Amino acid sequence: MLSGLFKRFTTRKNSRDDAKKRLQFSLIYDKLEVNDTTLTDLQQDIVDVISKYFEIDTDSLELKVKRDDNVSALVFNTPILHVKRKKA
Amino acid sequence: MEGKIIVVTSGKGGVGKTTATSSIGAALALEGNRVAIVDMDIGLRNLDVVMGLENRIVFNIVDVVQDRCKVEQAAIRDRRIENLFLIPASQSDNKDVLTTAGVERVARQLRSKFDFIIMDSPAGIERGFENSVVAADEALVVCTPDVSAVRDADRVIGLLYAKSLNPKLIVNRIEPARVVRGEMLSHEDVLEVLSIDLVGLVPMDEKVLISSNTGTPLVLQNDSKAGMAFRQIARRLNGEEELPIEMPVYKTSMWHKISKTFGLKQ
Repeated sequence: MLSGLFKRFTTRKNSRDDAKKRLQFSLIYDKLEVNDTTLTDLQQDIVDVISKYFEIDTDSLELKVKRDDNVSALVFNTPILHVKRKKA
Repeated sequence: MEGKIIVVTSGKGGVGKTTATSSIGAALALEGNRVAIVDMDIGLRNLDVVMGLENRIVFNIVDVVQDRCKVEQAAIRDRRIENLFLIPASQSDNKDVLTTAGVERVARQLRSKFDFIIMDSPAGIERGFENSVVAADEALVVCTPDVSAVRDADRVIGLLYAKSLNPKLIVNRIEPARVVRGEMLSHEDVLEVLSIDLVGLVPMDEKVLISSNTGTPLVLQNDSKAGMAFRQIARRLNGEEELPIEMPVYKTSMWHKISKTFGLKQ
């Protein structure tokens, strides 16, 4: 009982809080995981839209999901070859 | 009469899905409903032994879907609880023998014959899960207060939302003493993480294993805390939505109260 009492005074780590924090974190990350088909479809749609205005190099473009500690970003990189003239 | 199909699912195995299904089904029958429990875990059937009906199987759900027999022929009547029926899974088939179209067709027949149809989904999120949820009107997600079960529950909840189902949560095997000691997630923690509606809290109960040992319904044992919790859940599903959810409490000892007073425990 005394050792139990002693433990109360020393700062004991609470595994329940750990579990909750780790869960909240992993659930957010699970949801940010994008599967390959979604990425490929998205890339095609972006290319279609951009191609209306620019001629782009479809061989050297890249689409990535970048993750940092706080933010996630979608990065689309493409060289522009020409600006298309808008048809009247 | 148009019955309601409720799917019980969890993602992770071993969290008490089968116990929840059989107990809620039995309790709904005790409330006066005509209930069919359907074991959708093709190839790994278990509801029959848990319910003590393993010796009476003639046909199974695969036979019904493949039109080898009628629903009435496959439904085993429970002799202890009136209006409770089990449609067992097949033990020899592969779980890919069922199609969602086949399940939907049988679901229509089941709805016309029963007030409640409880589908026990297999663990996982593959074909068996798809077959279990395809015809569901409501979904229950069972989870235990541990990180892997909660994470899998979150995944399943997402899949159910995508199917326009609005699942409700059962937190199973809560050990209040461990929650107080800071060793276990509380149901509030789980709810906060999953942000979903709660339908019941079930405490850890040694009676669950004992009742499955003998194949007797847990809900018939008045001294079973888990059994009573499942009966409450069934009443909520049966229309008594306002029935308050009881919190599993930790009976505090004298020593605990003293140390609490001195600020030694939270």
